[in-house]
Amino acid sequence: MYCAIGCVVGTLVGLLPGLGPLATISVLLPLTYSIPVNGALIMLAGIYYGAQYGDCVSAITMRIPHATSIVMCIDGYQMTVKRQTGLALFTAGFSSFIGGTVAIVVLSLLTPILGKAAFLLGPPDYCMLMLFGFMCVSFVTTGSVLNGLAMCLVGVLFAQVGTDVQSGVQRFTLNLDSLYDGISLVSIALGCFGIAEITKNLDKGGGHSPFNGEINLIPSWVDFKRILPSAFRGSVIGSILGVLPGGGATVAQFASYALEKKVSKFRNQIGSGAIEGVAGPAAADEAAARTSFIPLMSIGIPENAVTALMMAAFIIKGIQPGPNMIATHPDLFWGLVASMWIGNCFLLLLNVPLVRLWLSVFKIPYNVLFPTILFFCCIGTFSVNNNLNDIFVTAVFGLIGYILMRLSLDPSPLILGFILGPMLEEYFRRTMILSRGSFEVFVTRPISATLLGLVLLVIVLAVSGAVFPTALANRGKARPAVTS
Amino acid sequence: MDYVPGAGESTRGLHSSRRIREGRQLNKNVVRGYVLAFVALGFGLGSFRYSIGSLDNTGPGLFPLLVSSMLLAIAILIVIRARYEAPDRLEIKVRSIASVLAGLVGFVLVSKIVGMIVGIVVLVFVAALAGSSYSWRSNLKISAALIVVAFAFQGLLGLHLGLY
Repeated sequence: MYCAIGCVVGTLVGLLPGLGPLATISVLLPLTYSIPVNGALIMLAGIYYGAQYGDCVSAITMRIPHATSIVMCIDGYQMTVKRQTGLALFTAGFSSFIGGTVAIVVLSLLTPILGKAAFLLGPPDYCMLMLFGFMCVSFVTTGSVLNGLAMCLVGVLFAQVGTDVQSGVQRFTLNLDSLYDGISLVSIALGCFGIAEITKNLDKGGGHSPFNGEINLIPSWVDFKRILPSAFRGSVIGSILGVLPGGGATVAQFASYALEKKVSKFRNQIGSGAIEGVAGPAAADEAAARTSFIPLMSIGIPENAVTALMMAAFIIKGIQPGPNMIATHPDLFWGLVASMWIGNCFLLLLNVPLVRLWLSVFKIPYNVLFPTILFFCCIGTFSVNNNLNDIFVTAVFGLIGYILMRLSLDPSPLILGFILGPMLEEYFRRTMILSRGSFEVFVTRPISATLLGLVLLVIVLAVSGAVFPTALANRGKARPAVTS
Repeated sequence: MDYVPGAGESTRGLHSSRRIREGRQLNKNVVRGYVLAFVALGFGLGSFRYSIGSLDNTGPGLFPLLVSSMLLAIAILIVIRARYEAPDRLEIKVRSIASVLAGLVGFVLVSKIVGMIVGIVVLVFVAALAGSSYSWRSNLKISAALIVVAFAFQGLLGLHLGLY
């Protein structure tokens, strides 16, 4: 019951452009104070999954995502442009179901083992893992690899704004109080995607949302055969990356997307509205969201902001997540695992018949819709810190997003760089302290050495592929411009 | 700054005089590199305001300096690459982005002074300037609906919106 309520409320609130899972859980956390501990945690988990699904809907239909559904904006949105909204939504929902189911098996069987494995990685390994993540995302971005890498680094630099954890120094804050705690991820996501998308539609001449009311949810057998392999690949990637701190749902989505671009039979269509570009990332996203509970429940370390909030809810209810949790509260652990699968089934059953209701909001004329979306962006930004000044930051990132759009620079890598930037810095500084300033540590450890090799290989291929062939091929003749 | 020729013109052998005479558009590929270089220099030079330290005792300025140096190198590569690519026009339409941003800024300023109810009205009326048509009646209806939604958020979700 609590799971069902959580899923419905989470979907409804997550559907609103501007409110993603993080903001939704933050807003609804107080509602669970009066509920018994098991019910409260199960309801919060339901809100999390529901909000993720709702977030997918707004990403696919309007290209307004949060961190959990950024990749859905690429092929999912392109499918909407191609009048395949229903198929995109079914693919996302069904793949999420597969991803969630696989991850729950992993979660219930491997929690102790995977938790320890993640614990064994050292700071140099994490550094290289994150750099490798940047390489993955650079390949999935539209345009060139160099543009993608550049945007990753821009994201890392934006993440430097705020108080340095180690020294306490205020960096790049321009002496503005609003920036002392850093830039909010919500502000960047809403600015670079939401506001930029609105202005893009308006620049087209008071445009309309490409969603035209088409809700044909039932896929053909051919479509179904394309969904399944991608969903299973995404489930495996999501289950693995969800466990690793610094990985999480966003990284899993990008990694799955990159894999689909490499191995799918229809890889040439990915980026222009291919089912595989929705199925893989959706499954990876859902799988990672569930396996991200493994570090929390096995070693007591939250691996992203959402699980950190969940940890807060555990502690509020008097339960300390950690190695002893399964032994001391087996009913809570297994209840949560069971609720995950019930929530999974519930979301699938609930959202297929109700998708017409969810989508009726998008039939509204664009001249009415875009001020409404702006309002939700304002409320979404405001609700994170209850601070109106955060909306100024969102407006600035709206301008930045507009400039990036005009320069054909994809903001997705920027978001990933922003998320991983602080962790990358922390692990880099820790590595340097442990190795007394020597870079040798990256090549003496097997895992980091392997990842470093892959990173260097990708850099060489990217730079040579991006500069020299172009230079040689175009000596004396014009070449079509690179546009996204 | 590079210039892009007009539609249908050859991209070969652009001479500066012809660029000035016929081209009025910026080259997107080059501007992209310059913008990235600007960001890199902004953070890179800014990082010298903080202690750099050494590798085994890193200061708060070291990491941003390293990252911005890498970004600057990539920006230079992008500018070099742009020399060998066909130019691509950079088009900027000010009206929509200006109206949307003015709406957001107006919302914040008015909400701080008067309350969010008036802020919502300002947001709708200013942002609607970016739309294809402008109707006072429609804007009033949208504002009223959003105010109701705001009250619902405050009542049902417990958000402290400061509506009045």
